[in-house]
Amino acid sequence: MKGIFIAFDQAHRDEVVAGLASCMQHGYTMFPDTWGRGTNGGIPHYGSHAWPGQNSAIFAVCEDDRVERILERLRKIDKERPQLGLRAFVVPVEQAI
Amino acid sequence: MTLYEGAVRRPIMTTLVFIAIAIFGLFSLSKLPIDLMPDIDTNMIMVMETYPGASAEDIENNVTRPLENTLNSVNYLKHITSQSQENYAMITLEFEYGYDIDALTNDVRDKLDMVSSALPDGAGTPIIFKFSTDMIPILVLSAQAKESTPALYKILDDQVANPLARIAGVGSVSVSGAAERTIYIYCDPNKLEAYGLTINGIAGVISAENVNVPGGSFDTGNNAYTLRVEGEFDDPQEMLDLVVGHKGDQLVYLRDVAEVKDGLQERAQKVTTFFTNESDPRGYSGEQGAMIIVQKQSGANSVAISEKVLAMLPQIQKTLPSDVTLGVIVNTSENIYATIGSLEEIIVYAMLFVALVCFLFLGRWRAVVVIVLTIPLSLVASFIYLAVVGSSINMISLSCLSIAIGNVVDDAIVVLENVTNHIERGSEPKQAAIHGTNEVAISVIASTLTMIGVFFPLTMVSGMTGVLFKELGWMMCIIMIVSTTSALTFTPMMCSQMLRLKKRESWFSRWYDHFIVRGLLDKLDHWYAKRINWAVRHRKTMVAAIAVFFVVSMLPAVFGLIGTGFFPQQDSGRISVKLELPIGTRQARAEEIANELANTWMSRWGTPDKKVLKACNFTTGQADTDNTFASMQSNGTHIISFNIAMYKVAQRGMKISMYEVGNQMRQDLKKYPELAKIQVTEGGQRGMGGQTTADFEIYGYDLAYTDSLTNLMKTYMESLPGVSQINISRPDRQPEVQVDFDRKKLARYGLNTQTAGMYLRSAFNGTTASYFREDGEEYDIIVRYTPEVREDVKTIENIWMPSAAGAVRVRDVGQVVERETLPTIERKDRQRVNTMSCVVNADVSDLGSVVKAGQAYIEQLRNEGYLSGDTDIQVSGSYEDQQDSFKDLTVLGILILLIVFIVMAAQFESWSDPFIIMLVSIPFTFTGIVLALWITGIDLNIMSMLGGVMLIGIVVKNGIVLIDYIHLLRERGESVISAVVHAGRSRLRPVLMTTLTTLLGMLPMAIGTGQGSEMWQPMGVSIIGGLLVSTVMTLVVVPSIYCIVQGVKIKTERKLWANKLGVEAEWNKKRHKIKTLRKK
Repeated sequence: MKGIFIAFDQAHRDEVVAGLASCMQHGYTMFPDTWGRGTNGGIPHYGSHAWPGQNSAIFAVCEDDRVERILERLRKIDKERPQLGLRAFVVPVEQAI
Repeated sequence: MTLYEGAVRRPIMTTLVFIAIAIFGLFSLSKLPIDLMPDIDTNMIMVMETYPGASAEDIENNVTRPLENTLNSVNYLKHITSQSQENYAMITLEFEYGYDIDALTNDVRDKLDMVSSALPDGAGTPIIFKFSTDMIPILVLSAQAKESTPALYKILDDQVANPLARIAGVGSVSVSGAAERTIYIYCDPNKLEAYGLTINGIAGVISAENVNVPGGSFDTGNNAYTLRVEGEFDDPQEMLDLVVGHKGDQLVYLRDVAEVKDGLQERAQKVTTFFTNESDPRGYSGEQGAMIIVQKQSGANSVAISEKVLAMLPQIQKTLPSDVTLGVIVNTSENIYATIGSLEEIIVYAMLFVALVCFLFLGRWRAVVVIVLTIPLSLVASFIYLAVVGSSINMISLSCLSIAIGNVVDDAIVVLENVTNHIERGSEPKQAAIHGTNEVAISVIASTLTMIGVFFPLTMVSGMTGVLFKELGWMMCIIMIVSTTSALTFTPMMCSQMLRLKKRESWFSRWYDHFIVRGLLDKLDHWYAKRINWAVRHRKTMVAAIAVFFVVSMLPAVFGLIGTGFFPQQDSGRISVKLELPIGTRQARAEEIANELANTWMSRWGTPDKKVLKACNFTTGQADTDNTFASMQSNGTHIISFNIAMYKVAQRGMKISMYEVGNQMRQDLKKYPELAKIQVTEGGQRGMGGQTTADFEIYGYDLAYTDSLTNLMKTYMESLPGVSQINISRPDRQPEVQVDFDRKKLARYGLNTQTAGMYLRSAFNGTTASYFREDGEEYDIIVRYTPEVREDVKTIENIWMPSAAGAVRVRDVGQVVERETLPTIERKDRQRVNTMSCVVNADVSDLGSVVKAGQAYIEQLRNEGYLSGDTDIQVSGSYEDQQDSFKDLTVLGILILLIVFIVMAAQFESWSDPFIIMLVSIPFTFTGIVLALWITGIDLNIMSMLGGVMLIGIVVKNGIVLIDYIHLLRERGESVISAVVHAGRSRLRPVLMTTLTTLLGMLPMAIGTGQGSEMWQPMGVSIIGGLLVSTVMTLVVVPSIYCIVQGVKIKTERKLWANKLGVEAEWNKKRHKIKTLRKK
């Protein structure tokens, strides 16, 4: 099992959720308002006066064979609107209840 | 889910909520009555107290003073004025505006109960009137007749006045100029004397004969009969056969000593009306006839009533004899309709202009639709408020809409702009709408708060200005709140529905990008960035330059080149003229002069090609006592009063204003040296929107001394070019014929002053003997001397007074002398006063200058010792109102400044930033207003002051936008100067756009020439001037001053840190080193 942590501009929210669903990934946890900035450029999302943008984050756990499909989908979303920003990180999940 | 998220995700609900608001608004609009001004509650109470037989001075001492002393302690009293006349006193209590007049009336009633024991025995019960401006007639109708003239009064009273009076809201309908039928018994004094008869004796016989006496009933067999004596006359001529006395054994009939005249009242008002008439070769025609005056009840709507009355006229006309024609002389609602009409036009133009500005800056019709839809939604919502509080569509509420148009789009523009940015970055419209709105919501609410900070205090102003601006304040607050709500819900929803992620390329968008964006807006941004870059690097020069500009621009105000006034004078197309010939002039002479004047004026302005005067109507002669309207105005055989109605401004063939016509009339009147007093009043009423007068009140007990002071002052004021007419309130002394009886001689003949006086009264005034009844109507039967005899003073001396102890003539027991008396003594605030009103000629001068000249002269009189003891001269009238209102508005201005400061300081969390914005935008607003007024030659009056007060909230918005963005860039890590330049460049468009929408929204107001435009023009001009200068200054100067303040701040902070770290000594050493290095 793998965990996928997806951080993205709030504007992507509906598409990301729809993307996960299209990959048959029904379970996820969303953090609707999160802040952060990228390492390689992009506008910071601090929810402040100077940087008003905000991110959302999703942590989804899936079977190993589904990871690639989901990442492919996310990459497509990110490419369509590069200015908004979307990053995903895959981590191993050792145990679950 | 936030508000905007909800709105975007549920578009149907959002749309329906706003549609519901619109429906409610339109429904309210359909219910709203139309009026000229908001309902101004009356603030006057009049108390009338009679004391028959007392002279003006007796009334003053015995009635007026005790009443004044008691009434003076009623709460909220502003002024107490009184008029003491023969037989009665009239006390007027003027209260501060805004208090419940019913409660005050009760207070007054309580005080009157307290004082009643202190009044003389013969004095009547005081009567309280609630006087208000509503007493001005709303309709004046004319009635002209040929054969029916003798019966005109009865016809009009029965068939016109009665049905009209039944219309709901009509206060009173009075007929004047038609005399009532009266039966006179004209006695020959010589014959009376020969037969030993008296007037009272004859009157007694007539009243004893003209009766029906019921004699009870009696039974005969099975029948019952009633017994009656029917003595009432069927025909007035029957009276000639009455036996009035005996001479020896001969009977004396009435026909032997008198004649019976069945005709009209001897003395009556005559009314002549001239109308424009195309079929007449002169272009106008005039006929004598009657006048019907319709007054409304206080609180009723004049437009609705005059509509109902006018609708009823054709129906009434059908019931009248064919020779009686009705016409309209004055119709107040015409002016109201025209004024409201031109305001509605202004609003439509303002909307159009605002839409154009939006289109210029946005370049996409979808965006323009989103923005422009906010306007009707917010405006319509304010109608709900008007309907709830029972107000009307009036000049204030409509001007308010027109001011609001430019401001309601601001919030929507900010939201739309940010949403567009998000979309351009690649967000889906729906997401962009939610997040874009979220980012700017706080600053949108803050800028609305500054606007509410301006308009909410308006609802708390006291005085007359308060009554007017309360509505404006509430409406603006409501419109602002609705527009912000709409910007945060409706606008994002519309954005999510209307805007597209991918712009469709069309010829227009390419053209727009090429010419407008790159050709104009980008170049403008670039140009402005360069200027700012220069300005922030030459801060000292900038500060010096704007200081010089400020001082120079205020020069017109310092040198008094800007006139001051109270209310703008409106061209309502109504002029009234009152002329007084010397007292005692016969009515025929008055008529002759009036006819001449009416012909001159009608031929000059009243022909179909000139189309200036529509109707000109004049009244001469003494009014009957039962005519309510006429008896409230002064009347007499020597007085002529004109009622003149003009065409609407837009319809006039000759472009001439009401005030020019009034001034030319004054010139014409000066050609008649016999006119003792001339009073031309433009606009029908003084004060709000009518004639402006500078009033001087001359206080002092000594009547002769204050008269001479008044004359001195009058001579001086007349010499001023700015004064076109002077009215003096104290009437001229009236010549009187008095009979001084010798009481001892009277007693010798068994007479006393009362019985002797009654002989005089019946001879001249006559005695109402009885009433002649015909067709259910009663007519007076009056016995008096024949008219020829009554024209001679000698007759008085020869009056024959029989008594138990013989008979005697007046000349044997008394002396007939001629004296002068003062008919009225006026008092204000418990002192005798004479008021001199100087009508200001607005073409030449202004209220402020005339008052200033008058004050200088008063000071001169004071220095020369003319004003000592209880004598004093004070300024009142429009000037007093103006000073009160200016004071109110100044306090309001300060209050608004504080509130705006509070809102801005809270938003920026800074003491210095709001200060920078206010330091630049507020003073230069005044600069702009001064320059605009100076260039256009408009007076500084309440409306232009109000414009200035409102600007405080509008101008700081630009500063807020600019400083807010500078902060943002600083937080993103830019240096001060770079942040300022970049912020300026990026915020130029939004600032220009919001400013231009406001400016162009006001433009139709400032340049409009429709009916009533005089009222709102000063406001439009001052807002445009102030906003223009202030915006330019904000854009140029705020960056420089911000840099100065930040520079000082950074230096102080550096020093502080240096101190904290204990490196100051080291730092100073370094600096010293640098300096020495530089020197080398």
